[in-house]
Amino acid sequence: MSRAIRFVPTLFQVCLLAAFWLGADALARAVGSPVPGGVLALAALLALLLLGWLDANRLRRGAEWLMAEMLLFFIPPVVAVVQFQALFRSEGLKLLAVIGLGTLCVMAGTALVVDRVFRWEHRRRIRGIARRRRESLA
Amino acid sequence: MNDIGMNQWLAAACLLLTVAVYACARWLYARHRAIWFAPLLFAPVVLVGIVLATGIPYPVYMADARWLMWMLGPTTVAFAIPIHDQRAVIRRNPVTIAAGVVAGVVLGVGSSWLLARAFHLPPELAHSLLPRSVSTPFAVTATDAFGGSRELTSLFVVVTGVFGMMTGELVLRVLPMRSRMARGAMLGAASHGAGTAKARELGEEEGVVASLTMTLAGITLVLVAPLLAGWLG
Repeated sequence: MSRAIRFVPTLFQVCLLAAFWLGADALARAVGSPVPGGVLALAALLALLLLGWLDANRLRRGAEWLMAEMLLFFIPPVVAVVQFQALFRSEGLKLLAVIGLGTLCVMAGTALVVDRVFRWEHRRRIRGIARRRRESLA
Repeated sequence: MNDIGMNQWLAAACLLLTVAVYACARWLYARHRAIWFAPLLFAPVVLVGIVLATGIPYPVYMADARWLMWMLGPTTVAFAIPIHDQRAVIRRNPVTIAAGVVAGVVLGVGSSWLLARAFHLPPELAHSLLPRSVSTPFAVTATDAFGGSRELTSLFVVVTGVFGMMTGELVLRVLPMRSRMARGAMLGAASHGAGTAKARELGEEEGVVASLTMTLAGITLVLVAPLLAGWLG
């Protein structure tokens, strides 16, 4: 019972986030926005947080619950594979190959790019700090 | 009881069953950290098995279960909180984070497009594959722009996550990279939520970078999808 009571604020915050999304989605549809409502709402909420007009703690529990249970929300579309059985029987192995090879490709490429860029940015930052220190001493 | 009334009960039962199987998977995975109990793998496999065995038509299954899918909308908005919390990391290494996001999106969409062509996959599958490396709420939005199917895209996102979970550690061992940021970005960009969970096991910085890369890559893909759709056709 106490667990149910503790869930009330979380549920309220989830409802607030849902209302935020509904509003942005309706707006995006009404004006024919090329940016979907979800991303508009995300940007608007982030702006409110960064400007300090809204405290992140007021929505944190709801947001964390939504992100933690996200898998539950996309199980239903995954069950739709039952509709595509014939397709998977003919293309299943190819699909697995595309996803497997593609994922390895993203992993290797991203890791190498980020490793290089990070070393460059890190050196630049260190040099910047050292220069500022010299200048303040001079 | 007539057919329509029967189907309404069945649809409600399917919604409850989905929640129950998911809860069961989480409970099992918390007790035994074995990969086949990972909710990402266990819950869909068990539910597909039940739906196939009982012969419930998918539209009946989805009639009420679509409310769960509806929740992906509010979940998109929730990602504003972790971005806000981790803004210090973006401020410290903006170029590195951006490089990870751009590399992840370009390689994710590019590899799917090239491989789908190389294997001569039909357009419906090829279009649904394009957004597979970003988190589901963003992937199902981007797939609309590519002309893919939300169902197929969700499935491919799950398969990508499971694959990343299984191979992530191996790839980390093989690749010569020293920075924690590269390890985190790699997991977040290639296998979204599943990769981010793995990155959290490696360390706090890896987890934060993975989560940022995953979220920003999702947003970026949704924003550029209409442009990319024009090019890739």
